[in-house]
Amino acid sequence: MEIKTIGVAGTLESSDIQIMISKGNDGIQIDLDSEVIKAYGDQIKKVITDTLEKFGISNAKVKATDKGALDCVIAARTLAAAQRATETTDKPELEVLQ
Amino acid sequence: MTYVKNRLRRTMMFVPGNNPAMVKDAGIYGADSIMLDLEDAVSLTEKDAARMLVYNAIKHVDFGGAEIVVRINGQDTPFYDEDVKAMVKAGVDVIRLPKTESAEMIQKLVKDMEKAEEEYGVEKGSIGVMAAIESAKGVLNTPTIATATPLMMGLAVSGEDYTADMHTHRYPDGRELEFARNMVLQSARAADVYAFDTVFSNMKDTEGFYRETRYIYELGYDGKSLVNPRQIPMVNDVFNPTKEEIENAKNVQNAIREAKAKGSGVISMNGKMVDKPVVAKANRVIETAKASNLIDEEGNYIGE
Amino acid sequence: MDQIVDLYLSDQTVRTKWEKFLIKLGLHDFSSREVDVIDHTLGIINDEGELVGTGSVAGNVLKYIAVCNRGATPGSRFNQMVTALQQYQFNRKIFHNFVFTKTQYSTSFQHLGFTELAHTDVAAFLESGTPDVNDYLATIPQVEGKKDKKVAAIVMNANPFTLGHQRLAQLASQENDLVYIFVVATDASLFKTEERMQLVKNGTADLKNVHVVSGSDYLVSQATFPAYFLKSPDDLIKTQTTIDARVFKNIIAPKLAISRRYLGTEPFSHTTNFYNKSLINELSPQIEVKIVPRFSNDDQVITATKVRQLIKTGDLAAIKLLVPNITMDFIKSNQKVLQTRIQKGMNINGN
Repeated sequence: MEIKTIGVAGTLESSDIQIMISKGNDGIQIDLDSEVIKAYGDQIKKVITDTLEKFGISNAKVKATDKGALDCVIAARTLAAAQRATETTDKPELEVLQ
Repeated sequence: MTYVKNRLRRTMMFVPGNNPAMVKDAGIYGADSIMLDLEDAVSLTEKDAARMLVYNAIKHVDFGGAEIVVRINGQDTPFYDEDVKAMVKAGVDVIRLPKTESAEMIQKLVKDMEKAEEEYGVEKGSIGVMAAIESAKGVLNTPTIATATPLMMGLAVSGEDYTADMHTHRYPDGRELEFARNMVLQSARAADVYAFDTVFSNMKDTEGFYRETRYIYELGYDGKSLVNPRQIPMVNDVFNPTKEEIENAKNVQNAIREAKAKGSGVISMNGKMVDKPVVAKANRVIETAKASNLIDEEGNYIGE
Repeated sequence: MDQIVDLYLSDQTVRTKWEKFLIKLGLHDFSSREVDVIDHTLGIINDEGELVGTGSVAGNVLKYIAVCNRGATPGSRFNQMVTALQQYQFNRKIFHNFVFTKTQYSTSFQHLGFTELAHTDVAAFLESGTPDVNDYLATIPQVEGKKDKKVAAIVMNANPFTLGHQRLAQLASQENDLVYIFVVATDASLFKTEERMQLVKNGTADLKNVHVVSGSDYLVSQATFPAYFLKSPDDLIKTQTTIDARVFKNIIAPKLAISRRYLGTEPFSHTTNFYNKSLINELSPQIEVKIVPRFSNDDQVITATKVRQLIKTGDLAAIKLLVPNITMDFIKSNQKVLQTRIQKGMNINGN
C-alpha cells in the first residue's frame, strides 16, 4: 500500500491514542509518547506494527501519542490513520482488525 | 452475541462512538442496552474512525451483558452502506436506523443487512433492527414501520428532531410530544415490539427527569433513552415493580406451574382465567425484580 | 456533556462573549495584529450552554487556547480543545502545528505529544506533528567529518539579495569549511519566499562550500510571533529574539555542527541592532558571533530596504549599484509585478 499523504486518527483524550502516519523508507518507525511507555511501550508498538503490516504497509513513519488506549482502540486508530494516509477511506478494510 | 427479541430494556444508554473512554466504560453502569452512536455524536470528518472504533469495541470490549445497539448513519448519507456492513461483520445485537419515515426504509435496511450477513458468513436473522422516529411523517407511519420486518425490536421517539420538524422544541411538561409518544407506543404494542422514550438532557433537573420517566412508565413504555449513566438507577427506580406486583406475578407463575403439572391447558387463578397479556406482564415483573435485586434466587421479596 | 462548537468571531455578539471569557482567564490582548490572522475559532459549551473553553488557529499556529475546569476533570477540556483544533488542522491538511504559550503551560502541551523547541522565563515554543524539526534537519545536506571542520551560518531574509549579502556570503565562504545560509521562510516580504530562495541560490552558486536552505518554521520571525499571552507588547521583541536564538543554538547548530554565526550590522534599524545584541547574548560562548559591518558601494551603504525603495521609484540605474546581476535581471523582468505589490500595500520599510 502506498502512503500518499499524512494520515492521522484518534484524539488526545483519555483512553485514546493519536496516530500520525507519514511516508518512510526504513521499515515501520514508531515514535511513541505514552505515560505507560515503560510497562506497555513494546505492546503498543507491536499492535501498531501488526496492524500496519496486516494492512500492507511495510514502510512508514508513525507518531503515536497514547493516552492509555486499549489494544482494540490502538488497532482501530492505526487502521483509520493508515486508510487516510493511503487515501482508501472509502473502502474500510475491517479484516485487518482482529 | 445474538439478538434476543424479548429481554429487559428499561435503559438504553447513548455512548458517542468516537470516544474510547466512554465506550470502554459503557458496560460498568448496568444499562440494559448500550447504544453506540455513529450518527449525531460523531462529526462528519470522523465517521470512518468512529466506525472502526465501534467495530473493534464490539469485538473486544466487555459490555457486562448489556445488549449492544448501534445507531448507524441515515440512508441519505454516504456513510450508511459501510456502517451496515461493519456492524453486521462485528456482530452487533441491534442496528438502529435514524430518521425512519417508512416501512420501506426498514425493509431496505434488512435487505442490506442480509447481503452483508451473506458476505461475512453471519447467521441470517441474528441481528435485530429498531427504528428511530424523528419526524411527523415517521410518527404517522409507525403502524407499518413497526410491522415492517419480523426482526423489528422496537421503536424509539427522538424528541429533539421530532419537535424541530413540528416547528416547536422541547418543553419541561412534554405536551409537545404527547401525540408522538402515544402514537409510537400504540404502534409498538399493536406490533408486539418495544417502545422507547426520548432522552432527557438537562442533568441538573432531577425532579423533571423523574417526572418524565414516571409519566412514560405509566403510559406503558418499555424503556427510556439516556445520555448519562447517572440516570440509569433513576430509571430503574421508576420501573421497579412494587411488592404487591411482585407477589401477584409470583402467583401467576405458580398458577402456570400448577396447570402444567396437572397437564391442564387452561390456567386459572382466583377462579379467573389467566390470559396471555397477564402471563407476559407477570414474566416482565419477575424479570425486572430479578434485575433490580428485589427478589432472591427462590423468588422471595428482599426489597425495602 | 460538553460540546465542541464553531465560534464565528466576525459576529459581534460571539466576539464579545469570546473576549469576556478570555479576559476572565487572564488574556487581554485582542489587537488586530493578533486577532486578524485567526483562520478559525472553536469553543466548548457545557450542559448549561456556557462557554467553558476556546482555541483558535492561525495558519499552522494554535493560539488563544483557554479552558475553565469548573465542573470537569482537570485537563480534560484542554485535551478536548487541542484535539479539536488539531482535527480542524488535519482536515485542511496542516499536519505540523506550533504553539507559543506561557512557559507554565509548556508541560500541558508536552503531555499531548508536543515537543518543546525553546523557552524563556515567560514564553515557550512547541511543535507537534509531521514533519518535525528532526525531519527538517535531515533534509539539510551535511558533510563528512563536520565535527573537525569550521561550519558557519548566516540567516537572511534577502528581500532582495544584494551585493552586501553576496559579499557576506563570500567572506564566510573564505573563512570557513562550510557555510549554511538560512533564508527566512515567512512569506511576508516584497519578494516572495521562493523568489528570495532562488536569488540567494543563484547569487552564491559559485561558492561551492555554501548551502542555501530554507529556515522553515524554525527561524522565529517577529512577523509571526504571537504576543497576546505576554504581559506587555514590549516583551515581544525580547521574547521573540530569545526564542529564535535558543532554537538556533540548542537544536539547529548542534545537529549541523555550526560553531559560528555571521551577522551584518544594521546602521539604520533599531530592531536589527537590538536583535543582534540579544543574539550575541544568547549564542555566546557556544557559538561565536562575527559581526560584519555593512558593505558599501560608492560610499553608499548597501541595504535591501534601499533597493525596495528604488524599485518603488523605478530607479534601475541606482539599483544596479546595490545588487548582483542575478538580482538585477530579476528586478528588470519583474519590475511591474513588484511595483504592483507595493501599490497593493506591501510594506517595504521593514526587513
